Parts: sequence; C-alpha cells; structure tokens
Amino acid sequence: MQWLDASIQGILLGGMYAQYALGMALMFGVMRIVNISHGDLVILLALIGISISSAFHIAPLALIFILVPIAALMGWALQRVILNRVVGEDPLPSLIATFGLSIALQNLMLQIWSADTRSLPGGGLAAASFNIGGIYLGVLPILVLATAICLTGGLDFVIRFTRFGRALRAAAADTAAAAVTGVNARSVYAMATAIAVGILGIAAVFQAMRVTVAPADGPAQLIYAFEAVIIGGMGSIWGAFAGSMVLGVSQAIGFRIDPGWGILLGHIVFLIVLATRPQGLMTRK
Amino acid sequence: MSENEPILSTHGLIAGYGDFQALFSVDFEIAAGEIVALIGANGAGKSTFLSAIMGLLPVQRDMVRLDGEPAGGTPAHTMVRKGIAIVLEGRRLFTGMTVEDNLRVAIDNGRAVDAGSKEPAWTLERLYELFPILGEKRRTQVENLSGGQQQMVAIGRALLCQPRVLLCDEISLGLAPRVIREIYQVMPSIADAGTALVLVEQDVRLAQSASRRLYCMLEGRITLTGKSGDIHRDDIARAYFGTKHAVA
Amino acid sequence: MTDAMLDTPIRVQRQTVSSRVALTVSVLFLIAMVSMPWWASPGKIRWAIEFSCYLAIAQMWNLLAGYAGLVSVGQQAFIGVSGYALFVLSLNFGVNPFLAAGLCLVVPAILSVPTYVLLHRLDGPYFAIGTWVVAEVFRLLTSNIDYLNNGAGLTLRVMAGYDLHQRNVGMISLSALLLLVTVGGSYWLLRSRHGLALTAMRDDPVSAASQGVNVKRLRFLIYVAAAVGSGFAGAVYYMAQLRITPFSGYDPNWATVCIFIVMVGGIGHIEGSIIGALVYFFADRFFSQYGATYLVVLGVLTLLIALYARGGIWGYFARVVDAPWFPIGRKLIRLKP
Repeated sequence: MQWLDASIQGILLGGMYAQYALGMALMFGVMRIVNISHGDLVILLALIGISISSAFHIAPLALIFILVPIAALMGWALQRVILNRVVGEDPLPSLIATFGLSIALQNLMLQIWSADTRSLPGGGLAAASFNIGGIYLGVLPILVLATAICLTGGLDFVIRFTRFGRALRAAAADTAAAAVTGVNARSVYAMATAIAVGILGIAAVFQAMRVTVAPADGPAQLIYAFEAVIIGGMGSIWGAFAGSMVLGVSQAIGFRIDPGWGILLGHIVFLIVLATRPQGLMTRK
Repeated sequence: MSENEPILSTHGLIAGYGDFQALFSVDFEIAAGEIVALIGANGAGKSTFLSAIMGLLPVQRDMVRLDGEPAGGTPAHTMVRKGIAIVLEGRRLFTGMTVEDNLRVAIDNGRAVDAGSKEPAWTLERLYELFPILGEKRRTQVENLSGGQQQMVAIGRALLCQPRVLLCDEISLGLAPRVIREIYQVMPSIADAGTALVLVEQDVRLAQSASRRLYCMLEGRITLTGKSGDIHRDDIARAYFGTKHAVA
Repeated sequence: MTDAMLDTPIRVQRQTVSSRVALTVSVLFLIAMVSMPWWASPGKIRWAIEFSCYLAIAQMWNLLAGYAGLVSVGQQAFIGVSGYALFVLSLNFGVNPFLAAGLCLVVPAILSVPTYVLLHRLDGPYFAIGTWVVAEVFRLLTSNIDYLNNGAGLTLRVMAGYDLHQRNVGMISLSALLLLVTVGGSYWLLRSRHGLALTAMRDDPVSAASQGVNVKRLRFLIYVAAAVGSGFAGAVYYMAQLRITPFSGYDPNWATVCIFIVMVGGIGHIEGSIIGALVYFFADRFFSQYGATYLVVLGVLTLLIALYARGGIWGYFARVVDAPWFPIGRKLIRLKP
C-alpha cells in the first residue's frame, strides 16, 4: 500500500517534470541544442511571477496568462540573440554559451531576489486533496499532471500535424533543403524556442505553488528535465512524458526508503537506463 | 516584360567557398518555358552555380537577375517565394517524414500563386498524376523509398513550390536508365506549363536530347554555349575536358 | 621533387625562440615556486597553491574539450572524490598525507572507467549534462555515507603534526609536481606521436579515424588521464583547505572555473590555459568581493566569448603573431650542403 501510494505520488511528481522535459525535448530533438539555462529560466519566471503576484495581488492560476507571454518572448529573444548564432554541427559553442548564460542568470537572480526561498500562495488549492481508497491525492498535483498531459498531447499534435510542426521537422532534418523549400529556419527556430520557454511559464507557476523556489534551484530542474528526456528516448515528445513518469516514481520510491535517497534513486535509475538502453524507452526508429 | 527578356540571368557571376573561388565571371540566361542544359565534369562548378543563384552562397546583388531585377544574395527561402526552386544534388529529402509531409512543406512555404491568374498551379493531385507511385506511397517514410522514387519526391517537392524556374542538379545520378527515362519524359510537360528548366547533368547525350540550348562549364568558366541540336560532339569534348583548342 | 632536393639534409626544428624563452621562464618559475617557503609569506604561498590547482584543472578540461571533443561539466566528481580519498587515507589509515596525495589518485582512475563507459554513447551536450549527473551522484552518495561523516565533512587534523614551514614545503612541492604532471604532461603528450593523433582528432575525428587513429581508445584514455589530473588538483587543493564537505568538494562551481579559464584563455592551446588561469586568478582576487555581480560578469563574458571570440585571448594572439610558448608543430629546415 505504501508503495502504491509512493508510485502514485511519483506519477503526480512526474507531471511536474514533464512540463520541464517537453521544452527540452523540443529544443534538442529538433534543433540539437541543449539550453543549459533551461532550469534557470523556470526559476526566473517563477520569481518574476511571485513578485508580480505579491505586487498586484493576482491569483496564481491567472498568473499563468501573464507569465506565458513573457516566457514566450524570452524564448524568442534567446533564440534570436544567442542561439541562432550557435546552431550548427559543433555542440561546443551552444553548450558554453548557455552555460555562461546560466551562471549569469543564477547570480542575477541572487542579486535581485536574494537567496531567500519564496513561493506562490496557493490558497486552498495547494492544501486541498481527496481521498480515494485510503490514498490522499492532492488537487494541485492532479491539476499539474492533467496540464502536463494536455501540453504533451498538444505539442505532439502541433509537431506532427501543423504547418509549423512540419517546417520545424524539415529544418531539423536538413536546414539547407528546408531553406530551398521556402522554410525560414531562423524564424522557425525562434518560434520553437518561444514555445519551449512558453511552456516553462506554466511550469513556473506550478512549481512555485508546489514548493518554494530560490535562485540556485535551476540546475536541479535542468537535470530532471534532461534525465526525463533521456529515459524516455531522445526525439520523442510522449517519450519525454513517459520518462518523466519513470523519474517521478523513482524519486518518490527513493524518498520512502530514506529521505536522503530520493533524488539519488532517480539518478541511479537514469544511469541504469543509460547503461542498458541508451536510446531510451520510446524511440521513433 | 517582353517575351524575349530572360526570366533568369547571371552577369559576370563570381562565387566561392571561403578563400576558394569556384565561379569566374559566368554569364547565363534562360527564358520562360525554356529548357537549358548545363554540362561539365565533376568539380566544374555546376552545383556551385545553382547554389549561387539560389542564395545558398553569398553573391553580389547585380550578378543574378530575376525578371531583370537584381536578386543576387537573396536568402534561399525568399528566392522560393520569388519563384525559383531547386532539386538539390543527392535529393536531400526530409528524413523521418513521410512522402506527403515532405511535399506539404513545399505547399505550405512555396510561392503563392494568385487566385485569379491563369497559371495552372501544381497540386498534390496533379503531382500524383505525374508520378503515380508517389500517390501509392504517400504515407511511407522517405528513407524507405527506392532511389528513383526519392528523386520523384525531390522533384515533386520543388514543383509544389510553384516555380517559374526549376533548377535540377544531376537528377539522374545513381538511378537506373529506365528510371532516368521515366523522369526525363515528364520534363517537356513541365516546361510547357511555363516553367523554365535548368538541367545540370554530367551525361552529355541526355542533356543534349532533353534541352533546347546548352552551356558547358570547365573550372568555373563557361567554355561553350549554343543550341543543343547544332553543337557537335568534338566541340563539346573540347569544352568539357579542356584542351588547347577550347572555345573561349 | 627533384633528386637534388631529396638528397639535401634536413633538420627538424621543434623549438622556436619564443618557446625557448617560455621553457626557461617555466623552469625558473617552478624553482621559484618550490623555494617560496623560504622567502614568501604564507598568504602568497596559498595563492601559488590555489593558482596551480586552477591551472591544472583547467588544462585537464582543455585536453578533454579541446582535443578529445568531450565537453565535461562534471570534473568536480573526480576533484571531490580524490579529496575525500586523501582525507580517508590520512585520517583512517594513517598514511602520510603527502604520500596519500599520490596514492588517492587510484580512486579517480578507477571510477572514471565505468563513468566513461556509461556516458560515452551520449551525444555532445547530453554527455556534458551526464557528467554533471555523475558528479551529483558522487555528492549524494558521499552525503549519505556515515563512514565519510555524511554532510558534515572531514577535517585533516593530521596536518597538525607538521609545523607551518613543513606543511608549506610539502604542499608547494606537490603543487609544483601537479603543474609538471598536468601542464608538462600535456605538453609532453602533445609533442609525442599521440599528440599528432590528438590534434588530428581535434580537427576532424572522422578523418583521423580513417588514418588509423583509434579515436575511441584515445578518447577513453584522455578521459581517464583528465580524471586523474583533476583528482590530483583536488587532493592538493583540499589538503591546503584542511577541510572537505560534499558541498565544497563536488561544487559545480569547479566546472564554471575551468570553462571560463579555458574559453577566455583560448581552447586547444596550453598557452590559453595559462593565460586564462592568470586572468581568472587575478579577477577572483580583486573582484570576488562584489559577490554575485562578479559572477554575473563571469557568466556574461563566457557567453560572449562563445558567441564572438571562440578562440579566446590566445586564439586572437596566435592569428596575429606566430610565437608559441609550447610549440607542438615541426618545421622542416633545409640545411645548406
């Protein structure tokens, strides 16, 4: 029973991780860019959200509608100003550039918001739960999971069936061939990054409601997103979702064994997947 | 625009890769609906020439003219909007995507044809009439097609960009003779619809029979030009391989 | 080539004027360094030790990223684990700490093998984050193990058995040895035939492989060597600190430091590591008082270098002047008959 409870909590936790992993799967699967500042962007958005919320007394869920456009704009600017310059065969420049950005962002946040932890007041939502057969399911985690499922399905649909999705896949498959078919790769990439970071705007609100956030939290979120994408198989949107579930459950079970082992078990499961199935759980080919 | 004015022309075109110059002052022109061949050995600069026109290489503005207007150095995706499409050497299809998705990218991003114009626009239906096998295989991933079928997809993708000028870079490469014949058979009908065709080929006989005029390149320069039917094999051999008697 | 040219005797010149100067300076520098306990203040000796550690770690990262094409943001795994191994050998097994600084290197050497096996199939950026995960695993495991005193860390009390002068002599000697092994070792490696293979691998791994370079094996060996080199630096550093915790030993900031040093100094060149280490060291001394702002600038500089000046300072300098300090090329000089 205890393990069933842990698994269910893990799945709910996976819903949170999925929201991080989607953007990363999009950016790496499509553009072969890993944005090391991915986690820091979530934290930045969360801190911005918290400040806006306390200054203007905006309810958390309404905050999503403010943060998503801000996030999308951030992503678009990130691609146009920085990442478009480093898209290419050599992974080193984009790695180093986004690494530098990550350090700069973390310390900028430290300067502006100090190291204090903060969170979004969730009101009744954060505390509410209902009881199913002896297991307590929080309303907020279920909302997070439901949102994650919708986002995953939506993103998968966009990539597979829309004009933009086709253009993006074409540009990722062969940039020159896409260009001679009329696709403006730079614009398409900027749009993709805008979407990837826009999703983080939603994730930021949930994260801030779920737990406290502090400027140094970015790298941890980056690693969870990364592990979820690898476990699920690079290049697959639903794979990133599946990987998030596995990661969440691993961590939850780890926590049940011993509080110090929660995150560690997640890492260990990741390493095992890496050792046995380097292509992940769900692969396209 | 008068009927005799070329739809696409180059004037003293110079282009290269970094420190390496590949094209030396190339003059070229093609009129609407014309089929022109460009022949030459490997490394003569034929692909570079097409890439330069297409905007894949940096080029001075006035060296390439479309409808008489300077268009050199325009980015490739903009050239597509203006009506130039290319079938790249090696096909370069979008792997991981189906035949129909590959074609749809062209439909989504190609040149917009005015609703009122009398131009017959390329559609998926028309393309499947031209290459029926593509219709059958439209949900197949392109990596699983044969070489000839892939070439058809590549041509179809270029056609669906609604080109006024279609550049074909060695589309016969790596294909069986039967398949080459099949593909070249449709060229006249494409030209009849008003599209100008530039056919780059290493196979001289094929190029001569398929085109009305031809150019020959050697080491980045045009060494011969004239009506395909009038040129003799000896002239071509000299211009193709380059000897002391090469025509300037 | 005519027969006459073939018969002409040829000499292979490997040293240039600038390199002879640099070599002399290096030797003098090492001698001066080792003699510091007799003329320098303890504060300056600490500076020399720390500088050596930064330079060593950076040079190892340079070898990894600049030649083997392996970008790691997790070298702190080996830095921390060596430090811990040193402390455990000295505290729990009574080994002379200065000896233990060498013996402890067995640990990073051994651990680097399964790490590489696990990670090497990952694509570039994913390999990088993978190294970070491994470092985090080391950190979390260390925090959870009672034998290693969990999160509270260890203190190198045995050093109290030596007086200040003795400690300084020991540590500065180890630092000099560290520089000899890492920087000198890299130079020796690059000048050898393995160096040619490495440079080929840096320029184009596929072509290198087609020329018979066993790229996979070489990458693996470089990874292990870099782990040991970083570990040695870690052992020296934490010996000087006298204290290690999971938080400090496995600090991701180590990655920031070596990336900054190598990128600013110039990747793929030993000269670059040295210049970058000097820049970082003095920037740290003068500006770290500004706390977070200083680090923002560091991050932004790294970003700008990656975008606009990938060759770093030395890369820029080398384009203008051909005066290498550590030449690895070979010039053919025709001798007059």
